[in-house]
This record gives sequence, C-alpha cells and structure tokens, in this order.
Amino acid sequence: MFVRRAMAVLLAGTALAGVAGAAQAQTAAAQLTTAGTRIDNTASVTYSVNGTNQSTTSTTASFVVDKKVNFTVVTAQTGPTQVNLGDQNAVTTFRVTNLTNDVQDFLLDPDQQNISLGLFPGSDNFDLTSLRAYVDSNGNGRYDAGVDTQTWIDELAPDASVTVFIVGNVPNQAGAQYAYDSLRVVAAAGGQSGTQGSALIATDLNLNGADGTVDIVFADDDSDGALLGDIARNGQGRAYSGYFVAINNVALSVAKSARVLADGLGSANPKAIPGATVEYCLRVSNATLNASANGVTLNDVVPAHTTYVPGSISIGTPGALGIACVVNGSTEDDDSDDATETDGVTASFDGVAKKVIANVGTVSGGGAVAASFKVTID
Amino acid sequence: MIRPLLLLGAALAAPAVIAAPAGPLQVTSKVLVESKQRAADGTTRVALVPAKRAVPGDRVVFVLAYRNTGTQPLSNIVFDNPVPRGVAYRAPLPGSSAPELSVDGRAYGALDQLTVAANGIRRAAAADDVTHVRWRLARPLAPGAQGEFAFQAALK
Repeated sequence: MFVRRAMAVLLAGTALAGVAGAAQAQTAAAQLTTAGTRIDNTASVTYSVNGTNQSTTSTTASFVVDKKVNFTVVTAQTGPTQVNLGDQNAVTTFRVTNLTNDVQDFLLDPDQQNISLGLFPGSDNFDLTSLRAYVDSNGNGRYDAGVDTQTWIDELAPDASVTVFIVGNVPNQAGAQYAYDSLRVVAAAGGQSGTQGSALIATDLNLNGADGTVDIVFADDDSDGALLGDIARNGQGRAYSGYFVAINNVALSVAKSARVLADGLGSANPKAIPGATVEYCLRVSNATLNASANGVTLNDVVPAHTTYVPGSISIGTPGALGIACVVNGSTEDDDSDDATETDGVTASFDGVAKKVIANVGTVSGGGAVAASFKVTID
Repeated sequence: MIRPLLLLGAALAAPAVIAAPAGPLQVTSKVLVESKQRAADGTTRVALVPAKRAVPGDRVVFVLAYRNTGTQPLSNIVFDNPVPRGVAYRAPLPGSSAPELSVDGRAYGALDQLTVAANGIRRAAAADDVTHVRWRLARPLAPGAQGEFAFQAALK
C-alpha cells in the first residue's frame, strides 16, 4: 500500500511535463470534481411579515457528478525501435495519461499492424512473435524483464501517467525491415487496488432516474492525431509504433595466418621442416559496429602433408598480430559431443574430412574472435 | 435488520429533495443542465434538462422558485444562495434578474466592484471567485405572487 502510494506521487510528478501541451487546452483532470461528488444547492431566505423578521431555507436541489472518462495514449519514442533479427524482448514504449475525474484502471491490448500507416519510411513486412504489453511497474522508463510484469494499469489517479511497453521477439526472417505495432487501451473501472476492473460501458443517455448515480460519459478523443482506429468517445484509445531491422547483414571477415612454433631441433628461429609444429590462426572480425553476428562457425581443412595435433584447438580474444593468436584462450576437446562444454564456445576435429570446426559463438559489433589449432609437418 | 439498510440505500440514491419548513414563503431549488439537442433540420439548440448527467465542464443552471402561500404580503425578502462547492458561477440566466455577487459572503456587489486577495495582492474578482449570490426583492411580495431567479454555473 505504501509503495503504491509513493509510486502514484512519482507518476503525478512526471505527468506534469508529459501532458503540458494537452493540459493547456483543458482543465487538469486533478482539478475536475471527482465523479460521485454530490452537489447540493440550498438558498437561505430572510423576509419580514408585518415588521417581524422571518427566515426560511429553500428545498435542496442535488445531483451527482458523473464520470467523464478521458485519457490519452501516445507513443513515447521517436521513430521505430531499432532491432536485429532474433532479438528477444524488443520494446516499443507508450504513455497512458488518465484525464478522467476519477481513479481508473486501464486494460492493455498489444496489436500487430498489418497495414502500413505511413509512420515510417518503409512498409510493414514482418510480425513480431509473442507480443505482450507490460506496465513500467518501477517507473524507471525502461523495460525490466521479470520486474515489469503487470499486464493492466491499476488505479491510475487523475492526471497521472504511466509508461507501457509492448514487448516482442524479432523473428529470424530474411529481408525483415519494418513491423508496425499498436497499443489499444480500454478504460476500466477503478476503485479496487490490485483488482483488474472490467471495461467501462457508457450509460444509456435515455435511462431515467440517473440523478443519484454516477453515469459513465466517454469524452476521450483520438489522442495521437489523424490516424486510423482511434474512435473518439468510445472509452478506448490506440497509439502506434513499430520496429525497424536496420541491419540485415554484418561485414564479417576471416584472416588466416600460420606461424612455426618449433622445428624439433630447438632452433631459436624455427623453420617449416618435416616434424615442425605449426600454429594456424583464424581471426574473424565483425566490421559492422552496431550489430553482432551470432552462431559464427569456422571450418578449416587441415592442409595436405600435415597432421592435426590432438586437443590443440583454442578459442578466445585475439592477441597481437604475429606474437600470439589467442589471449587467454579456451581449451577445446576434439569430439563433437558438446555436452561437457560450458564456456559457450565449442570445437571439434573431423578425423575423416581432416577438418577443424570451431563454433566461436557471437562476434560483437566491431569486435573480433580468434581460434587457433596446431599441426605437425609430415 | 436488512429492511432499514435497504431504505437507507434508497434514500441515498434518490434525488434528495428535502422539504422546506412550512411557512408563508415557499422556496424551491432546482438544478438543470444545458444540453445541446440536434433538431431534425440540422440546427442545434441548447435545452435545459434535469441534471441526470453532469460531467466536469458542463453548464448547470440553479433555479430558485418562490411563492407566497400566506395571506400577508412579505417584505424585505433576501435570497442568499451560497455557490455549491464544485461549481463556478458564470452569469444570470437570460430572463432572470442579475444577482448581487460576493466573494466572501459579506460584501455584495457587481463583479467589477469586487476584489480578492491573492498572494498578498488585491486583484479584480473573476466569476470563478464568486462564493455567494444574492437577490433582494425591492417590493413586497403579495399573497399568491410568485417568481423565479436563476443563474448559470460551470461544473468544475
């Protein structure tokens, strides 16, 4: 209870900056008379009869202030979210502000758009999977998986705002560029903390005898301009956003070098003679700065007239050129059973094809990974 | 045990019209809202309807209807109507005589004669500042005579 109250204060504070534009056009919701308030009017009257002063009061006329349901939902980011193929929990951010003269719950419905709305330069050509909507429960403006788990807005005070995330997974779909999404927000009954209210239904205008009850009047507008799908005065709002796969490929390059480690004769400057041990170095670089390459596998056939040195595969950070291939490299076994491998990279040697296979995993944007193995000259 | 509770509930839900004490001067208070109604010919007109539906921003009209039910003329009649909390005075209803206004319940006058103190500075009063409206009948009210006053207000 205490935590919730503290959060509401924080939210109210941030709302001032966020809704300043809208608030100037209309009275701030917090200053509106709260729904359910009874307004009584009574006049007191004095008069005199034959010089004697008398007083009386009028009857009292009353009515109950009804609920004027109004809120906005807008995208809280500029342009689409930049994602890479295969990204998990990619986020688009929205902001919901309660302009009702009462505390409200709001239901959240994340939607995929299949028509392009002209928001972004390209057309919608892929869908995210597992689309979900979460409230920014800890109010830090950032999606925290496992922390921001509330799927509806609970007890949003008048004028308070809250950030809502649509979270989805980017498929590994070649050619994917733009995915449009939207957040549909439905006003729901508030008043019970921790309980999801049901969607509000406008009171029938023709019903009689509604003086003493709180009627529900929808006053919501299309909150984000002239876009489709946000009908005014229906207790629902919709805002649009999207995802953009900026990079469909990365500039991956591999450089191979060889170095004679020992010639079996103890020479200080070993030569490539039969019996000498040679280290081959495969250095894979990702020249694309802001996208990493995942699942990178290196295959290298051991040259003719050489023999693979068992257990000599090592994977790690590249060392200085010509001095060390791998710094703090891992030691990999030669079998293709990776069950015992725990360091995230695996390797094997195919004795039939005489092929070294190194699964170096992820090469980060602008980064490099090296793999080395040794052979002896026959 | 249940029956009194039910009765209480019904009393709360029903529009509260509390009977004024019996006396020669009967004063009835009514509240109406302005409702825009679209006629078949496409024109819109503003009608006054009972305040069943009132949301912040709506125009409401408070009406005081009075009638001398006694046999003696009544003189020096003063109607003092505090503006209810949650509403802001706007103007007399067209057709009703203008009330005297007050921002403190003591000094009455026209709006441009009133001032309010804000942050230690006195400034001219605005309609939002009005807390009381008052009508005075200049002439005695004859037995059986009646009349009506009304003012417009905005629901905050």
